[in-house]
Amino acid sequence: MNQFKYISSKTKEEVLKILEQEKSEACIVAGCSNVLPYIKDRKLPAKLLLNISDIEELNYVKKSEDEIYIGAGTTISDLINSKIIKEECNVLYQAAEQFADPTIRNSATIGGNLADASPAADVAPPLLVLDAVLKVESIDGKREIPLKDFFVGPRKTVLHDDEMITNIKIKNYPINKNGCFIKLGLRQAMAISVATIAMVLEVEKNRVKDVRIAMGSVAPIPLRLFKTEEFLKSKEISDDLIKEAIQKVREEVKPIGDVRASAEYRRYVSGILFKRAFKKLTD
Amino acid sequence: MKGEVNFKVKKIPIEFSINGQKREALVKPNDLLINILREDLHLTGTKYGCGIGECGACTVFLDNEPVLSCLTLAAAVDGKEITTIEGLAKGNKLHPMQVAFLKNAAVQCGFCTPGMILTAIALLKENPSPTEEEIKDYMRGNICRCTGYVQIVKAIKACAEGGENESI
Repeated sequence: MNQFKYISSKTKEEVLKILEQEKSEACIVAGCSNVLPYIKDRKLPAKLLLNISDIEELNYVKKSEDEIYIGAGTTISDLINSKIIKEECNVLYQAAEQFADPTIRNSATIGGNLADASPAADVAPPLLVLDAVLKVESIDGKREIPLKDFFVGPRKTVLHDDEMITNIKIKNYPINKNGCFIKLGLRQAMAISVATIAMVLEVEKNRVKDVRIAMGSVAPIPLRLFKTEEFLKSKEISDDLIKEAIQKVREEVKPIGDVRASAEYRRYVSGILFKRAFKKLTD
Repeated sequence: MKGEVNFKVKKIPIEFSINGQKREALVKPNDLLINILREDLHLTGTKYGCGIGECGACTVFLDNEPVLSCLTLAAAVDGKEITTIEGLAKGNKLHPMQVAFLKNAAVQCGFCTPGMILTAIALLKENPSPTEEEIKDYMRGNICRCTGYVQIVKAIKACAEGGENESI
């Protein structure tokens, strides 16, 4: 394995100071479940690993009157064990339950899964449909980035070298409770997804009052399907509507072919996943 | 690894507890927990399988939660408690899960067994009477290349039904 330096920080302030000095030389790590395989494959250029897994102030799920806050260092297991996530953001709970396996979930964190910016990141589609906003901090200050603007390409985000994600904020809309996450992999467990879909839906008098749809592994970034959402809004729910929406989904995704599936299959199956999720939320 | 000698690398002092015993060590930043366990502490019950978090053979408890020691930096266990398969028995008395694996012939080549047993103990701590489906779901990251899953699931069920699973 390559050589690197290692610092374990106990406070957020210390991490921000080191990031300010080291910039792209540093790589923040928590569970290391992505980073160590990169290091073994010699895909990681960073010379300093900055461990944040012992920083308690980054590990929480909290609820205020109208918002939910998740610390970036919260593990996937902690999401599953959080009553708030299960009750208020069930779509995220469903994704966490299908995430890798219990041992990895004890290490992997929500902030790490987002910062890694894989198009297949399992927590990204649910957070996209929950309209999540990331709080990002550097020594110079704080800013908020809506998750829909965070990813710019495979493994690329708008995060600057001296910034870290500190928390994830979700507005507590009623629609968030009616959510569905479906993961399609080549096997039932421990699979990198062929395609995933997250959806939240609000129906009023058999019409789509509001809907949010996001998919993973069907574009260079985890993708929010705004055009399909607009198409569905205020329409009466029928089999014909679903058929038309399936076409919209297939037009909106931008898949590539890789070892797991061809682009054609991903485009086709995106429509099927949409249908399954929509039916599950309307039946 | 050959050709990668770097004499400037600064070692990191860590303190941790391994199977109930306090230890201090000087580790390199890129030392993995599994290598410290196997090569320095000679606790070879923990197995190195895939090295990338796919197989579960290297599972250990870190502060009582199962994690993969091949994806854990040794430096990151500073101040923490580790339990390996060697830490389960009390003297000559095996842990009930070990007994259940033996009684149910849930061991073929044995390579996956330490990881299987540790993950299974973690399962029963969270869910003392799991269904067969719940067992399979929880054990999804532990792979048995002899494909001896039927007996493994049976052993975990037997252990749960025997009510013998005590927390370690």
